[in-house]
Amino acid sequence: MLASVRQNLQGNQACALGAIAAGCRFYAGYPITPSSEIAEKMAVELPKVGGTFIQMEDEIASMAAIIGASMGGVKAMTATSGPGFSLKQENLGYGAMAEVPCVVIDVMRGGPSTGMPTRPAQGDIMQSRWGTHGDHPIIVLAPSSVKEAYDQTIRAFNLSERLRTPVVVLLDEVIGHLVETIEIPHIDTIERAERKWATEARETYLPYGETDDGIPAMARPGDGYRSHTTGLTHGPSGFPTQKPAEVNDMMQRLLGKIDRHRDIVDDVETVGCDDAEVLVVTVGITARAARRAVRQARDAGIKAGLFRPVTLWPFPENQFRAVEARVHSVLVPEMNAGQLCLEVERLSARRTKIARINRIDGEAIEPAHILSTIEELGRHG
Amino acid sequence: MDSALGKNPTGGNAGSAGTGIEDFDIRAYLRLDLMPHFMCPGCGHGIALRALLWAVHELAIPKDRLAIVSGIGCSGRVGAYIDANTFHTTHGRPLAFATGLALARPDLEIVVITGDGDCLAIGGNHLIHACRRNLHMTCIMLNNEIYGMTGGQVSPTTAENRMTTTTPAGNTEPAFNACALAAAAGASLVGRGITLQTPALKNLMKEGLAHRGFSFLEVISDCTEIFGRKNDLGSSPEMILRQKSQMRPEYFGNVVDEPFRPNAMKTGILSRNERPEYGDAYRAAMVSTRATASHGHG
Amino acid sequence: MPIAPPWSQPVRRRPTVMAEGAKIPMTAAIEIRLSGSGGQGLQLSASVLAEALLREGKRVAQSQSYEPTSRGGISRSDLVISEDEVDYPLVTRINYLVILDDVAARASNALIKPGATVLCDESRVTQAPSGDFHVRMLPFAEKARAVGLERVANMVALGTLAGLSGICPRATLEAVVRDETPAKFLDLNLEALAAGFKLAEAPVSE
Repeated sequence: MLASVRQNLQGNQACALGAIAAGCRFYAGYPITPSSEIAEKMAVELPKVGGTFIQMEDEIASMAAIIGASMGGVKAMTATSGPGFSLKQENLGYGAMAEVPCVVIDVMRGGPSTGMPTRPAQGDIMQSRWGTHGDHPIIVLAPSSVKEAYDQTIRAFNLSERLRTPVVVLLDEVIGHLVETIEIPHIDTIERAERKWATEARETYLPYGETDDGIPAMARPGDGYRSHTTGLTHGPSGFPTQKPAEVNDMMQRLLGKIDRHRDIVDDVETVGCDDAEVLVVTVGITARAARRAVRQARDAGIKAGLFRPVTLWPFPENQFRAVEARVHSVLVPEMNAGQLCLEVERLSARRTKIARINRIDGEAIEPAHILSTIEELGRHG
Repeated sequence: MDSALGKNPTGGNAGSAGTGIEDFDIRAYLRLDLMPHFMCPGCGHGIALRALLWAVHELAIPKDRLAIVSGIGCSGRVGAYIDANTFHTTHGRPLAFATGLALARPDLEIVVITGDGDCLAIGGNHLIHACRRNLHMTCIMLNNEIYGMTGGQVSPTTAENRMTTTTPAGNTEPAFNACALAAAAGASLVGRGITLQTPALKNLMKEGLAHRGFSFLEVISDCTEIFGRKNDLGSSPEMILRQKSQMRPEYFGNVVDEPFRPNAMKTGILSRNERPEYGDAYRAAMVSTRATASHGHG
Repeated sequence: MPIAPPWSQPVRRRPTVMAEGAKIPMTAAIEIRLSGSGGQGLQLSASVLAEALLREGKRVAQSQSYEPTSRGGISRSDLVISEDEVDYPLVTRINYLVILDDVAARASNALIKPGATVLCDESRVTQAPSGDFHVRMLPFAEKARAVGLERVANMVALGTLAGLSGICPRATLEAVVRDETPAKFLDLNLEALAAGFKLAEAPVSE
């Protein structure tokens, strides 16, 4: 019997259970509101499956520890919120550079600085993409329900292992603390991707060499490869190099590897985009409000549509452009002073009217607010 | 380069355990294709590296099972020359990376190579918590009293009045006693060695590697090229001989042959604090939790 | 069952939905808010109700708002109940509002749906909201004290809410209380719940 179980589950806890279902066996974290339930759940659940939980001395150490565990061959995760996410950025960049799979959950709260620990925000949209220094690949997934928190955490592990990259799951506080009735699938039905491990002869193995899919196989410590891992710019051998040609080759592969797998990376939800004239683009809890507003607008005869990038970064440009070409207005509601709209503006044609709803007072944007703006855009389009 | 690695004489294993210098060939433990190394003439880090590999050889630790985790700075670059699983991580964080690696892979023998700036300044928080936790690993802090790689800035172990590029009038901050700090934080084995006495340093590292738990070893490793020049400390041999007058052994055993002239710095094993290793304790607690849980629901 | 497929097997591509109208049917949801001050057990009573509704085959979305302090300060727990998947999970038009403390008395005024039912503790709420909805002042705290502990006023209120609204059968709520609340408080909680249902049966005297 591989029946699913229906239960009431919190978004944060769904991330924890999703991680374990995906094969996560190591968690390192540091307490921070509003993500602490993830750590608490992992502390209880990991030992049941032979995994290890550790509360580290700080956010930086947590990020370092999961990369350390992953370099040892174990699927690993941490979770945090804005202030902690800021602290993790340097080591997140190390994970991107050394191509070490790992998953980071960021439950967004009001910022900047300590901000409003218990209130929701969506202020880390740009930090999740550009938080660490230097050009780097990263994947960011943005769930908008508890079920999606579960599913996208599993997907985060699968993408991370397949593409050897850190993956961020970006929740807002509302989704993190929301409890919803969801169906948890039987664990044996969960699809899990495993890392590509080096199996060839040590003499010919290149830890960071070019491959057909752009993803080099990783050497598991103890398997006899005795390879070197560094955050320094390295050549195919894994050892540091500053030779321009080698640096360029390595960076091109690193920065291009996600794009080579957009078929499994991209994920978009659309509502009414076939005939939409007013398009709403948003993520997280704001997308739940937008979905209701779009449906109500359509019921009232306004051709509205929702474009929700479930994979937020890399932004699904092609899918967006295809929809954007047919609309006259794009509305970007978000719980920040305007971040996602920057990407939307970048990708939109000049003729398109871009409207924003920005809420920075720690409250969610209501469906009625989005609906009235859609109506206005519909009238003046 | 790969072919050179492939021809490595001892392959995956360190070979038979030796007891003397006769059968220790450091080349069997080095990535020879990376030579020449980056260290300055007279730098103590190479001697410390030799002592470490000698200890690994005598303990017959297979290279495949050896994991070297290092941070940033001159000390951070030493690990790359070792023919083992080597991880060159971020500044100050090698102990935190090693914590994850050690918990995920208890089968590995983990050595953290760090420096005075890496370990005591930017990584100070990780050091005290690693000491407190007592996870099985050996932390070797190469103390050269200076930030060498960045050009000679003051470090947490720079002695007072010393000249550095950021203390133009001489250092006005007191230095850390790293071993006292580690012991106070709970490190279950603390020791100090000097590069003057390579066999003694090797024996100290053997003690650290063999100890079940967190070992903290400070190695006095001179920076002649930057610190020495800035402070008119003479040539490399002159600097290294000065170690003799500044150290005295705390613990004789097989660590040192004869006592040095008494001075402030002690060498040898400075403290032992036998207690459960963190990974063992965690796994045992979780097994009993599981047993209790299943009993409770049974 | 293939637990761990080799890396080379592609991760199943999630279909990109490019066109559909309203995939999720929108049915009328019931919105409930339990409000008061921190420490009154509002999250617990909301969780009990949510679990009972789950057992009744409903779908719920439960959210909360709290201030950084664990005690005192305004606290609320919201439930959106639907037969199908909950569309928007936060309350926008409250059908049933419980107020256990003055700090929360006026906080929800803008969200109360016309015709809604508002249940206030008669001793702790002195500034009950007024408007196009039914307000009932009820002795939740007093009944809780009669049972033995004022802290179970949340359970009394839950019983009354369930009794008046008919959203959840009493037996299911009692079963959840038995399964989910600490054994030490089990009898107390069950008695409080029963007292609440009894309050619901009393004639309305507004």
